[in-house]
Amino acid sequence: MLQNNELLKIENLSIAFGGLKAVDQLNFIIHEKEIFGLIGPNGAGKTTVFNCITQFYKPNHGNLYFKNIKDEVINLVDLQVHQVIRQGIVRTFQNVELIRELSIIDNVLIGAHIDFKTGLISQALRLPKAVKEEAIYREKAEGILKKLGIYERKDMLVFGQPYGILKKVELARTFMSDPKLIILDEPAAGLNDVETLQLARTIRQIRDEFNCSVLLVEHDMRLVMDVCDTICAINFGKFLAIGNAKDIQKNPLVQEAYLGKEDEDE
Amino acid sequence: MNIKKLTFKPWMGFILFGVLLGLIPSLAQYTNLVKTSTIVTIGGTLIFAIAALGLNILLGYSGLISLGTAGFMGMAAYLSAYMTVDLGLPFEVSLLVAILLPTILGVLVGLISLKIEGMYLAIATLAVSEILRKTFEEFEFITNGFSGKSARFPQLFGFLQLDRASMYYLIVIMLVIAMLLTYNMMNGQVGRAFNAMRGSESAASAMGVYSLKYRLIAFALATILASLAGVMYVHFIRFAYPSTWNLKLSLDFLAMIVIGGLRSIYGTVLGAFIVFAIPDLFLKQIPFFNQLSYVLNGVLIIVVIMFYPNGLINIGYDLKKIWLKIRKGVENVTK
Ligand SMILES: Nc1ncnc2c1ncn2[C@@H]1O[C@H](COP(=O)(O)OP(=O)(O)OP(=O)(O)O)[C@@H](O)[C@H]1O
Ligand SMILES: [Mg+2]
Repeated sequence: MLQNNELLKIENLSIAFGGLKAVDQLNFIIHEKEIFGLIGPNGAGKTTVFNCITQFYKPNHGNLYFKNIKDEVINLVDLQVHQVIRQGIVRTFQNVELIRELSIIDNVLIGAHIDFKTGLISQALRLPKAVKEEAIYREKAEGILKKLGIYERKDMLVFGQPYGILKKVELARTFMSDPKLIILDEPAAGLNDVETLQLARTIRQIRDEFNCSVLLVEHDMRLVMDVCDTICAINFGKFLAIGNAKDIQKNPLVQEAYLGKEDEDE
Repeated sequence: MNIKKLTFKPWMGFILFGVLLGLIPSLAQYTNLVKTSTIVTIGGTLIFAIAALGLNILLGYSGLISLGTAGFMGMAAYLSAYMTVDLGLPFEVSLLVAILLPTILGVLVGLISLKIEGMYLAIATLAVSEILRKTFEEFEFITNGFSGKSARFPQLFGFLQLDRASMYYLIVIMLVIAMLLTYNMMNGQVGRAFNAMRGSESAASAMGVYSLKYRLIAFALATILASLAGVMYVHFIRFAYPSTWNLKLSLDFLAMIVIGGLRSIYGTVLGAFIVFAIPDLFLKQIPFFNQLSYVLNGVLIIVVIMFYPNGLINIGYDLKKIWLKIRKGVENVTK
């Protein structure tokens, strides 16, 4: 079902809410180690595609073939939400989903939830193996926070942190599970220009370091054009075009979809 | 000055806390400051704190409400009284069984929590608790109905007969163990999963937290602690009436954790003292306040929620902050 270097194949994906076809017969393929951008105007169905991949929504039709961490090809549709991360797919949310009452580092540690081998009783008794395991992941989390430049804040509560920091914490959390595919929903929202540049660098770094693919939705076109190897444009849930940054910029269908918006912007 | 500080580990705090609690009866014996009846009140308070700790795991950490704590506690109390008195079983055996059976029921209630939440879960757990209370009234061959069931101070390991004073120590030990284990669990992977479940269901499931599993664990832990409290209660007070295990008691547990501090282990014990010991020890002396403890709890909850949503336990931290500020100010002035 998947060719050699293909990672995720989206086949005839459709989902409707009431009468509204949020995603309609969508097809695209993400390759290994590819940074893939999904773009489209507001309400185009981008987040809905993410929710279908991660099984927050069950698609009405279509298949989502994925080569998981054991190199087996599975259909994501067969999974429950909490099983998706074990296959090697981890995501962020458009409206940051963090635990406000926990510290930044504890939030990041939640990303390693599935990796813990010790059980409840070992943890309750603080058996040496549980202590060691906790220390290993804490160190890993600290390393990630250092890389993202927010290590100094690690013991602060998430509550009250600026939006840009929250976005970074969510990003840090995805790195904890050593995923094969990271899905980012508007990672640059709320970041300033300098931070957005940094983010582009980080995304490439992650790809090279973790050998994973990145699927991202972003309204900041400079970031998308700069960082993505392949871009897929959709509108009203339907496929418009796919290609590299140049192809997409030149594509008349894409220009038309964005036209009204670009006029406003300039 | 550069003296290397001994690192203070959380477990040391719990042990120290236990030692302090353990000193109270000696105060009663060697001074006239504390009366024997006070020991009963404080022992009872610590027992309630054990059950409230369970509710804090459930509500504070996991965000799952229960108004059934009293029912489960009562079930364990009757079971242990029945097994030790009527069946003549060793205390250790009855302790285990009296924890196990309610816990199985608690886990079944946990299954309900998958289908219903919030208000409806509160009502469902209340219903279970009320059914249990009715059962305590009707199943006379175990519970002795309205006349009440009596039990004895336990005998440990078949030869160590406890009395009131030593039973108090057993309660303190159980509380300290419960606090320590709860602390460890809540500050590790399982506790983070509970927090995630409460704080963001989307994040929890995206990070692989299987909510069925963790809801059941939360209910199991809460019921284990409520049952342990029930067993301690019946072998310390040595009597159980059906009317004890009513909605008022379940609401008192709720009050303890809200007033003391959600997700705070010491706060839970503080809450138990405020809700249970203070009215009993002090307010009862004042005739007017005698009937008013109900109202007092209600008012306290409202005040705490409005002005101190993290619970009164944080007053300590805030005072410390103010103290440090003052000291710094004084140092600056003296410089
Ligand atoms: N759970 C839902 N119930 C009903 N309609 C929904 C639901 N989720 C999404 N939709 C609808 O599907 C359409 C696509 O929404 P989606 O959130 O996927 O857009 P988007 O491309 O992510 O937009 P944005 O750029 O604003 O985030 C919208 O019309 C939205 O109202
Ligand atoms: Mg969106």
